[in-house]
Amino acid sequence: MSEPLIKLENAGVYYRGGRPKGADASQAPWALRGLNLEIRRGEKLGIVGRNGCGKSTLLRLLAGIIAPDEGRLRFSDTDVHVQLLALGVGFEGALSGAENAILSGLFMGKSRRHMEQRLKEIQEFSELGDAFHAPVNTYSSGMNARLGFSIALQTDPDVFLIDEVLGVGDHAFQVKSQAAVREKFREDKTVVLISHEARTIGQMCNRAVWMNRGDILADGPPAEVCERYENAKS
Amino acid sequence: MNDFLRYKDIVFYRTLAGLKSEARKNYLGYVWFLLEPLLTTGVLYFAMSHLTGRRGAEAVMLILIGMLAWQWLEGSVMLSAGSITAKFHVHQQVPLPKYLFPLVDIGTNTIRFAFAFGLVLVSSLLVTGGPGLALLWLPVLLALQLALIVGLSLVVSISVTLISDLRLLIQSLFRMLFFVSGVFFTAERVPAHLLPWFHANPMAVLIEAYRAVILQGQAPDLGRLGTVALTAAVLLLTGGLIHSYFDKRLLKLTHV
Repeated sequence: MSEPLIKLENAGVYYRGGRPKGADASQAPWALRGLNLEIRRGEKLGIVGRNGCGKSTLLRLLAGIIAPDEGRLRFSDTDVHVQLLALGVGFEGALSGAENAILSGLFMGKSRRHMEQRLKEIQEFSELGDAFHAPVNTYSSGMNARLGFSIALQTDPDVFLIDEVLGVGDHAFQVKSQAAVREKFREDKTVVLISHEARTIGQMCNRAVWMNRGDILADGPPAEVCERYENAKS
Repeated sequence: MNDFLRYKDIVFYRTLAGLKSEARKNYLGYVWFLLEPLLTTGVLYFAMSHLTGRRGAEAVMLILIGMLAWQWLEGSVMLSAGSITAKFHVHQQVPLPKYLFPLVDIGTNTIRFAFAFGLVLVSSLLVTGGPGLALLWLPVLLALQLALIVGLSLVVSISVTLISDLRLLIQSLFRMLFFVSGVFFTAERVPAHLLPWFHANPMAVLIEAYRAVILQGQAPDLGRLGTVALTAAVLLLTGGLIHSYFDKRLLKLTHV
């Protein structure tokens, strides 16, 4: 086994924004508490759990969007690029699809040159044709989603964080986009997938973690973990 | 280092994007950058020339310079106040330093200012009859004001994101400051016992210095500029500290 790429040690996060005015900050509910998790290079880790179990907070923590309030988050080296598969990060309506592709890429941690070299692939995959050079505020919502997905696909991080396997656009594009996500699972990429569907995790991952109330209940082979999760649900 | 280049690209690219979208949205596009301060100056000149009897091209330039310098500050800081909240959905998806967003707004507004200020500078020199040596001070003054703007914006951007009521408070403060910053009058009109108070305001000092350098061909008051520099340094330091403390905490503290 390779060394862990990411290591969470006794990590805890709590939100203070949601509490009612005047409430004591220390009484805020912890979204994550005492979490220990190691993610190794090339691993396809699936995280199952019901709504509000802390899955999304965990992804944000891994993506470096928020810092832990307790414990530590460690990377094997400082250059590890972890990124959330996000659709359409901050599109500027008056700019063209191509211009927005570069801007989104910059947001997601890629250089301008990296994105410029991949504009053609993005245009092709998104099936936007000439509309790629038209302002984004003339797009339909489907076109927006297709562009967003195609950009995210080209950002190529070391660790891909995926919040549900997204199906975007019409049926044909859904099939295509899901196939592209599955492709990421076949490559030598590190992927963390969260889902409330045990079946998806069972199919796509080689390790699963079951989370409940900000803590890990089970960690191991997907088939076993998912079975326990399914049984507990019913 | 890589990150630094990327952040530089983001600021540069989004500043351009902001200007482009603004120009595409309005029929008159970039013309507004000059038209807006001209309209305000027109109103102020009309009022002031009747009150003080000061007329002519120089009186117009006096107000116009004050007006532009003021709008550069107020516009930038007020834009920065909303810049983190406006891009909250971005912050929820990608880890980016929050200070990039006020910087972009300052960039957009600074280009707007530069466009109008350039034109005003040229016409002022035509009115006063050519540039003097004192004009060499101008870059120093501009850099000082930019530092002041960035420092103030850094502090304001986080504060307003945490406590949104502050936005209205800051707006009122600006309205008040506008009237005491000498935008449409000069220090000669200020009663002697109030002068130290008048000059405690960095914007009043800067506006006075711009006029001295551009219209009178005189070097600015260095002692007062030193105080402005000190204020800017304190604001920059405070803003930097606030940003480094709240950068990864902000999302846990606020909900939009």
